[in-house]
Amino acid sequence: MIRRVLIANRGEIALRIIQACREMNIETIAVFSDADARAPHVLAADRAVAIGPAPAIQSYLSIPTLISAARAERADAVHPGYGFLSESAAFARACEQAGVVFVGPPSEVISRMGSKIEARQLMQSAGVPIVPGHVPHDQSDSGVRRALEEIGFPALVKASAGGGGKGMRVVEGIAEATGAVQAARREAVASFGDGTLYVERLLDRPRHVEVQVFADAFGHTTHLFERECSAQRRHQKVLEESPSPALTPALRQRMTQAAVAAARAAEYRNAGTIEFLVEGRGDGANFYFLEMNTRLQVEHAVTEAVVGVDLVRAQLLVASGEPLPWEEGSLAQRGHAIEARVYAEDPSREFLPQAGRLLLYREPRMPGVRVDAGVAEGHEVTVHYDPMLAKVIAVGETRDAAISRLAAALRAYPVLGIRTNIPYLLAVLDHSRFRSGDIDTSFLDREAGDLVHSVPEPPAFLREALRQLGDEADEPRTTTHEANTDPWLTLRDWRA
Amino acid sequence: MTSAVRTTRIGAGTYLVEHDGRNETVYVAGPASDRWVFWNGQVFRGDFRPDTPLTAPAAGPKAGAHGSVTAIVAPMPARVGSVAVAIGSRVRKGDILIVLEAMKMELPIRAPGDGVVAAVHCEEGQLVQADAALMDLE
Repeated sequence: MIRRVLIANRGEIALRIIQACREMNIETIAVFSDADARAPHVLAADRAVAIGPAPAIQSYLSIPTLISAARAERADAVHPGYGFLSESAAFARACEQAGVVFVGPPSEVISRMGSKIEARQLMQSAGVPIVPGHVPHDQSDSGVRRALEEIGFPALVKASAGGGGKGMRVVEGIAEATGAVQAARREAVASFGDGTLYVERLLDRPRHVEVQVFADAFGHTTHLFERECSAQRRHQKVLEESPSPALTPALRQRMTQAAVAAARAAEYRNAGTIEFLVEGRGDGANFYFLEMNTRLQVEHAVTEAVVGVDLVRAQLLVASGEPLPWEEGSLAQRGHAIEARVYAEDPSREFLPQAGRLLLYREPRMPGVRVDAGVAEGHEVTVHYDPMLAKVIAVGETRDAAISRLAAALRAYPVLGIRTNIPYLLAVLDHSRFRSGDIDTSFLDREAGDLVHSVPEPPAFLREALRQLGDEADEPRTTTHEANTDPWLTLRDWRA
Repeated sequence: MTSAVRTTRIGAGTYLVEHDGRNETVYVAGPASDRWVFWNGQVFRGDFRPDTPLTAPAAGPKAGAHGSVTAIVAPMPARVGSVAVAIGSRVRKGDILIVLEAMKMELPIRAPGDGVVAAVHCEEGQLVQADAALMDLE
């Protein structure tokens, strides 16, 4: 059994992993850059190791530094979280070579599924539907253009090594094909060092629905149902929920079986996600393999809420060589769960990312609401890392009940000192199309781009209350990190 | 109606506001000259003391004009990813001048109007604060 885990991450996911370790009596070692010396994940871990300057490339992305930290601290496992090095085959391999358990799949599985073209071929041979497309042998401009013509327009040209919309172009017709191919290749080379391209048919207003899978070393490969993630802004997920309002029981059955077949074909181990695009409605809808995420997802808490499992605990058990902690076929979706990602960005100024001190930060506390956050009042949100501050997950008996509960939680979540997307999230939750559940991956960009276009004026009663306050000012609870003398924040290894 | 508003401090930065038979919880932070206020999922910012006009932050990249020179300033703390133009470059409205990077995102700073680059105050890789002068356009 794993006894000491180094967590190669920061923020809310590092705290989430620390919590699971606590419950399993596993010692935790946090790592931190210079910008994070007093960050919540550092304070929460049993021990913490400095790993370098603020830029992630010199700290959270530095494989040699992390491996020597794991060795020096005698960690027997490394949990990569999500983002950073979580899908780096090189990091997984370095852990394997250092004799440290990587909490995730083997490195060769990561590299196999990390290549879009290889993953497509593997899925095809396993009978998992893939988006109609083609990998041209002739990778010249004219070769890729011919492949586009064969697929038909509109089409997509994509980078084999791609992700996050980089190295990807929509091609509406033959006239713009050459320009799009060249632009996609340039981006692919610049971003991934690999200019290999392939082409796909552009689906008509698809939904993004993914299936959580989990496999152990004893031949058990299971699914934990789906998450609906169609509410995306510029390829960035904003709201996730389960069950998907778009899946009929028959479609769910087909998709979860395909996901398990996909995971088996990949010889998968530990937690992973099979992403699908769904085109059409009802039992007859078509679904296509998009990609596999070989790690824990940001939105894993949605699955935990409706299925009633602890995915991080299961990850640590399976990484320790234990079997899956649940019986195959014993899992079910119960009620509905929905998650909102709270980002430090200003929805009234084109979602400009925000950095600064959290002058006031109070999380909502109410039944059926879970908040996973990596920040605290008085702390600084820096420019160096991802702008996601927290995730709010609400559960309810029905989709409507869960949405209403999430909205109530967001209305009771004051974050002051930097702007957040909370007003935008509330506007989306209130949107009739979102409420109806009938959305696709371009819904937010198409119809909800300017839901929050101006900073509102305070209502009359509030103006009057603020006039009455005059110059009255509360002393900030913490002015600088160094001046922080709250023993609950500064004591380590303190249990009450 | 406003005469019936009663405000009571009930915790750090937390106020109970009673008005028209309703109770509202309002959160307040920052100095009186630059208040941050949260109520019911909405955030308001400004100077709300009597006889002070509401000041809302300007939208988009701020550009301060001084005579014929327009200062291009950083809209937020960021790292300068690239500088697309040099002193003497002729630019048109909407051209990308600088690409800032913050929180894993690229943020292009575009020319607010036609002009010539008169001065460049930043270089690639530099960390800049909000409102830092990046460039002057003439």
